[in-house]
Amino acid sequence: MSSQNVDSAPKPSQVQKSGVRAAFEYTGIPPSWFDKRPKLPSRNWLIFLSVTTSIVAYYVYDRRECRRIRADYSSRVEHLAKEPLGTTDLPRKVIVYGAKWPGDEDHDKSLKFFRKYVKPIFVAAAVDYEMISGRRSGDLANRIADEIKTRRRIDAGVEPPSHSPVPLPNQPTLEQKRKRELEGGIVLVGRHTLKEFMSGLKRGWTESMDRVDREDMLAQELASDGRFDEPEEPVIDPEVVDGEPLPTRSRLLPSQNAVLFPLQMPSSSPTKSTQYTSNIPAHLDTPPSTIPTLPTLLLVPFTNYIGFRQVPNMLWGFFNERHKVRAGSEAAYSLIMSHVRPFAAANTASEIQESQLDGRQGGDLDFELPAESYYDGAYTPSETEKARKTYYDALPAKLATARALARGTRAPTKEEDSHPPPTEVELRAERLKKEMRWRGDEAGWETVKPGQLVQWDERFADALQVFDEPRADDVG
Amino acid sequence: MSFLGRGGPSPAGGVNHERIEMAINEIDMVSDVFNRIVSSCHTKCISPRYAEGDLNKGESVCIDRCVAKFFEVNKKVGEKMQSAGASA
Repeated sequence: MSSQNVDSAPKPSQVQKSGVRAAFEYTGIPPSWFDKRPKLPSRNWLIFLSVTTSIVAYYVYDRRECRRIRADYSSRVEHLAKEPLGTTDLPRKVIVYGAKWPGDEDHDKSLKFFRKYVKPIFVAAAVDYEMISGRRSGDLANRIADEIKTRRRIDAGVEPPSHSPVPLPNQPTLEQKRKRELEGGIVLVGRHTLKEFMSGLKRGWTESMDRVDREDMLAQELASDGRFDEPEEPVIDPEVVDGEPLPTRSRLLPSQNAVLFPLQMPSSSPTKSTQYTSNIPAHLDTPPSTIPTLPTLLLVPFTNYIGFRQVPNMLWGFFNERHKVRAGSEAAYSLIMSHVRPFAAANTASEIQESQLDGRQGGDLDFELPAESYYDGAYTPSETEKARKTYYDALPAKLATARALARGTRAPTKEEDSHPPPTEVELRAERLKKEMRWRGDEAGWETVKPGQLVQWDERFADALQVFDEPRADDVG
Repeated sequence: MSFLGRGGPSPAGGVNHERIEMAINEIDMVSDVFNRIVSSCHTKCISPRYAEGDLNKGESVCIDRCVAKFFEVNKKVGEKMQSAGASA
């Protein structure tokens, strides 16, 4: 028996290998695998895996944080969307302005920022929004100035308020419309938009309230410029050449006043739909000393990184979107909660003097001042000058061809038959368009360039308010 | 029940019928567009759980934007089809 025990003693130690071996021995795993020791991958693999994993993990963490932040702010305002709304009532509506970032061909970037980071909270809170974008530099300032002048004209009684063509039963009166605008709010995305907005505001409330058609004025100015004069005949009456919509300028009776060229009609017809006397009595035309309260402003911080030098910033932004989400959601939340404070601007004379030196104006006017350095070299007047020079150098040749063909002094060549060169009318229209564009760009850059102060007027101090961060005692 | 027009319709001119046809077609189209808008925006914007009879603000804003977008798209598609029909 003891020999049996001795015999059977070593067997259990052979049979009871490690549990893994016992369990998987006959599963088909190569037996050499059971004897290997687990070890880390090589040094190079470790480097690669750790770098890749950390990058991916940071990206995933960032996007999850974004989602969490958005959900958090949405849940804070959701209760507003569940309130009932009567069938004839309208929801709260804000107007969003986004100007073109100087140097960026895409004018929509400011509004893209709004749509991506601010709009989701508005949607969660059932706040309606209307987005207005400035296609070119200075467009927004012009638009706001025109709106203010229209408002002044309506208030002065010079112009009747616009009526919709179909009389609907529930049309709000002018007071109701204004009240609704006041309750709504204005959103300005970025410092460049603030500058354009304030410039338009100041122009609208300071200039005369005359209806001004910029294209018309420019057309008249260009007509007397002498660029389209004949080279051989010394004196050409500009009025004769100006008003003719036909290439043969001397055959027909000259029109007395400058008639808009037919090619310009479509773009200016909205403003020409009704004719109003352009001379407003002087006692009405003085700029008012107090400005009616404007809807509260929401200043949304926004910086657009463009250019090769900004690629590191772009990469940082790609991996850190949660900061933008937080900024946008905070801004939206403060608008929804409607804490309002007066616009803080520099008042004392010493501060105004300082501001002339380094562009700092103090208070809210310094909103996002560092962002200006990002578009510092975006536009230089010299590039317009160059474009102008090339255009005007090439113009007389084109003009001569057009005139020669129109008068029939020269038969068209074969290429000219198949691709007719532009006629004189088309050349004029093209010149008008280009000049509008160049002047608009120059004026826009003047408004927005770094170092240019935000336009401010004492009357604004009472009329402007800003949405502030909601206080801690706000229950959502 | 009075049977109007029992004595037969009195045509004031053959053009009337065309105009009536056109009016009928226009009403058909308009009501078709209206029905589409109602069904489409209802499915998109109004949740199936009714908490109270009135629309709430979220639904109102959603419906406003849905109808506005529908009309925009309708107009654009109409223009495209007109230009395609004119060129083809």
